[in-house]
Amino acid sequence: MSGTSNLLNWILWMPMLGALGVLLIPKAKENAIRFWALANTAITMVLTAKLWMGFDNSIAGMQEAFTVKIPWIKQFNIFYHLGVDGISLPMILLTSVILFICILSSWTVKKQIKGYFALILFLQSTIYGVFFSLDFFLFYVYWEVMLIPMFFLIGIWGGENREYAAVKFFLYTFFGSILMLVGMVALYHATGKGVDSFDLLALKASADEFIKMKVSLFGTEVAFDKLFFMFMFIGFAIKVPVFPFHTWLPHAHVQAPTAISVILAGVLLKMGTYGFLRIAFPIFPGAAVYFSNFIAILGLINIIYGAFCAMAQTDVKKLIAYSSVSHMGFVMIGMAAMTSQGLNGAVLQMFNHGTSAAMMFLLIGILYERSHHRWIVRPDGSKGFGGLYTQLPVFSIVFIIGMFAAMGLPGLSGFISEALIFFGIYQKFTTMTVLALLGLLIGAAYLLWMFKRMFFGDVVEECKSYTDMNAREIFYMMPLCVAVILFGIWPSPILDIMKASVNSLVTLLANYQ
Amino acid sequence: MLLNYLASIARFTPEIILVVTMIGLLFVESTYSNDAKGSKKGYLYATAYLGLLFTLVKLIGSLGDAPGGIFTNALTIDPFSTLAKIIMVIGTGASIYLSRRSDDIYDKLKGEFAIIAIGVLIGGMLLASANNMLMLYIGIETLSILSYVLASLKKNDDRSSEAGLKYSLYGGISAGIMLFGMSHIFGVVGTIQFAGIVDKIQALDTMQVAILMPSFLMFFAGIGYKIACVPFHMWAPDVYEGSPLPVTTFFSIVPKIAGIAVLVRVTMTFFGGDTSALQMTWVGSLSVIAALTMTVGNVSAIGQRSVKRMLAYSSISHAGMMMMGVVCLSEIGVTGIIFYGITYLFMTLVAFFITSFVQDEYGNDHFERFNGLITKHPLMAIFMIMTMFSLAGIPPFSGFVAKFNIFNALIDKDFYVLAIIAGMNSVVAIYYYLKIVRLMVFKSSESEEKVSGFGFTNQLVIAILTVPVLVLGIFWENIIVVANGAKIFIQ
Repeated sequence: MSGTSNLLNWILWMPMLGALGVLLIPKAKENAIRFWALANTAITMVLTAKLWMGFDNSIAGMQEAFTVKIPWIKQFNIFYHLGVDGISLPMILLTSVILFICILSSWTVKKQIKGYFALILFLQSTIYGVFFSLDFFLFYVYWEVMLIPMFFLIGIWGGENREYAAVKFFLYTFFGSILMLVGMVALYHATGKGVDSFDLLALKASADEFIKMKVSLFGTEVAFDKLFFMFMFIGFAIKVPVFPFHTWLPHAHVQAPTAISVILAGVLLKMGTYGFLRIAFPIFPGAAVYFSNFIAILGLINIIYGAFCAMAQTDVKKLIAYSSVSHMGFVMIGMAAMTSQGLNGAVLQMFNHGTSAAMMFLLIGILYERSHHRWIVRPDGSKGFGGLYTQLPVFSIVFIIGMFAAMGLPGLSGFISEALIFFGIYQKFTTMTVLALLGLLIGAAYLLWMFKRMFFGDVVEECKSYTDMNAREIFYMMPLCVAVILFGIWPSPILDIMKASVNSLVTLLANYQ
Repeated sequence: MLLNYLASIARFTPEIILVVTMIGLLFVESTYSNDAKGSKKGYLYATAYLGLLFTLVKLIGSLGDAPGGIFTNALTIDPFSTLAKIIMVIGTGASIYLSRRSDDIYDKLKGEFAIIAIGVLIGGMLLASANNMLMLYIGIETLSILSYVLASLKKNDDRSSEAGLKYSLYGGISAGIMLFGMSHIFGVVGTIQFAGIVDKIQALDTMQVAILMPSFLMFFAGIGYKIACVPFHMWAPDVYEGSPLPVTTFFSIVPKIAGIAVLVRVTMTFFGGDTSALQMTWVGSLSVIAALTMTVGNVSAIGQRSVKRMLAYSSISHAGMMMMGVVCLSEIGVTGIIFYGITYLFMTLVAFFITSFVQDEYGNDHFERFNGLITKHPLMAIFMIMTMFSLAGIPPFSGFVAKFNIFNALIDKDFYVLAIIAGMNSVVAIYYYLKIVRLMVFKSSESEEKVSGFGFTNQLVIAILTVPVLVLGIFWENIIVVANGAKIFIQ
């Protein structure tokens, strides 16, 4: 049962081919490796664009035309099942663009570039795998395999404390995925008798059965769906990261090389929220509704706690890392509202945060290449940066665009998604809406305060030697600038893609409220 | 009757080939004296490999045969035992190859290693097929007594002698306890045939069953000692560390798989069908022991400095994982164990092969010796990384599929708590497996010297052993079909 198009296979395996190609190029031909990787991501981007062209906005479910379904392990009913719908397509678009930009921004990497580009392309392939998989087993395999390239990318090319960060990242995610594995196998055995399957669509269809089932733990009866929703929740929440599980993120972000921070913030964090939308919510709608207040509260904590943490940072990269925690909180709270605006806003926020956070991390990377430090205020109390505005005008303008997009200024992309989320949650959690708005205020405060300290004031002596952005840097910042501005005034292209799929999820969840 | 025996002998050919090989090896070893340098070694290993190859071919050929008992049901030949034997034969062959290449065994004793290893293998194969108490005991003793010799093969080394002594002391005591338990069971039920015991137990009343409980636990002690499960594991790390590395490799495969195989057979035969109080005791203790074995093995592995010792503890925890499959008392559980055994074989071999050559080069096997291996031997380092990820159970490597199969069996029986314990253990395990990966990739080594052991042939062998580590993680359908066929035949 396959669709007419092999496009998803091409998108999924193209980066893998690219990675193998990199391995075949001799080590000394550094430029050949760079251009090969760039060409590869460019082809993937074109293929993704083709996917967008062929995408039918009116279909709520999977796009049958693109579905690929091949038996993998017959004994376990495991399929190599790929598909795309309105929730995954924005993420795919985001991935393709971000990865292309990351290759360009990695031009200055000097250390073992062969391994570096091979691992990035390998990582790209696994990311597509996660977003395309419609078979839980396949999803899980990609979810885990992704850890391997990430581990090496942070551990080899990262900052001073890279090993610690890499191991922490690995252990945290692995812990979460073990719980997910238990839940996955439990689901497999629970799907009716005789037709055990990992198929996400089949699992979604038997959601009602899961609600009735019970599990005995230490002699006490626990509702099946609530228990395993919690397992999935922890698995995905670590990735997002939701409040108590977020401690790996600042380390990983700060230690990772620029391109990896960008991928991490731009795409990988979204895999957590995507997991909720693709797996946890549709398969356990009852439990999702049951725990919605709890999720909303955690999301709120993310917003406010993340914002305060960001305010306290003196390392600008750490500040942006915590701002990611805060912004992902908006996604969580929007999802927890389970209203049409809330969920649409959440998915849009996933996309918009992908572009704006990527911008911020790229800009910090550009700055770091010149300054070789990231202190807003150095540990000895002196200023790390100052008066950058007069020294780096182009850089400053791009920075302002990215920062205001992150802040949610009207006219830029962040505003639309946050506004939608607020409309969505106001219908359900009135008090929390007010508190979350407060979080927005704090968000503006720490970003502006950072901007003031770094860009205004007296020019710090060493900043005088910095050069402005070069053509390559301007070139790769361009698409993101356009995206945040364009989707700030005209968000319909993205909203149209997701609307049908998201609304069908809303309808599904509404049945259980 | 005679015909019956002839038929039995026909099904016993793998073992007979091995006995002939052993005798042939003795002949080669004593005929060609030490002065003939290359030729003796050549003949010796040719004989050993040829014998093992014939055995392997014979075993694989008999996989599809109908199961049945031979020698008046003293031994059972069924797909399960045949698969366990195949794993053991491959493990023995690889260990003999390693012993030839390793500096850890004195040149003069390399012939002895091959002879004794094949002897241990015969014991293990008897054990995997044993269908009555007597055969079980003979199997265990053949396996153990020869293992004591292997452990102390490095005669001039204190640690090796210590290993041999420790092994034999523990082994002797546990064999005694087991024999006592067996004699008690025999006293109560009046038969030594496994199937007969089952029938008799079902006829007993509750009090009589209660009396049998301690005897069964004593019986278990003997098997548990072979698998090195907690609390019978104390000997394992010291023995594994003291023994020469090829011997350690051998110990972590053959006796372990044999022990697991007999545990599976005993558990399935005795308790596969009934739900008596005895079964509750046996399965209940097994699940606690399995959980403890995993946890103790993993937690102890974290603090180790020697890679060999770390691998020894990790093999304890893997045994615990396989025991989880036994606890399920189901066919899926047995399938899972067989799959686990196959992947465990290859992962262990790759890990020990690489460690062995690194140790031979630098004189010891401390973690720091792996520093910067990726710049010196990229291919070997990548294979080691793959194996470490596989041991930790990360896709797309075979260790993950093995773990998944055990989880599948556990959850099929609603043993969620055990599944979570097993899962948390792999989080602990990933930490120390990552340690080796970290050292190999992130650190740079002090010496530029390459490892001389990684010649073309050795690299090729390691590469061949690594293939299943990756391939069985992606294309595991056929192996699952084979493992599914590994039914326990009860008669």
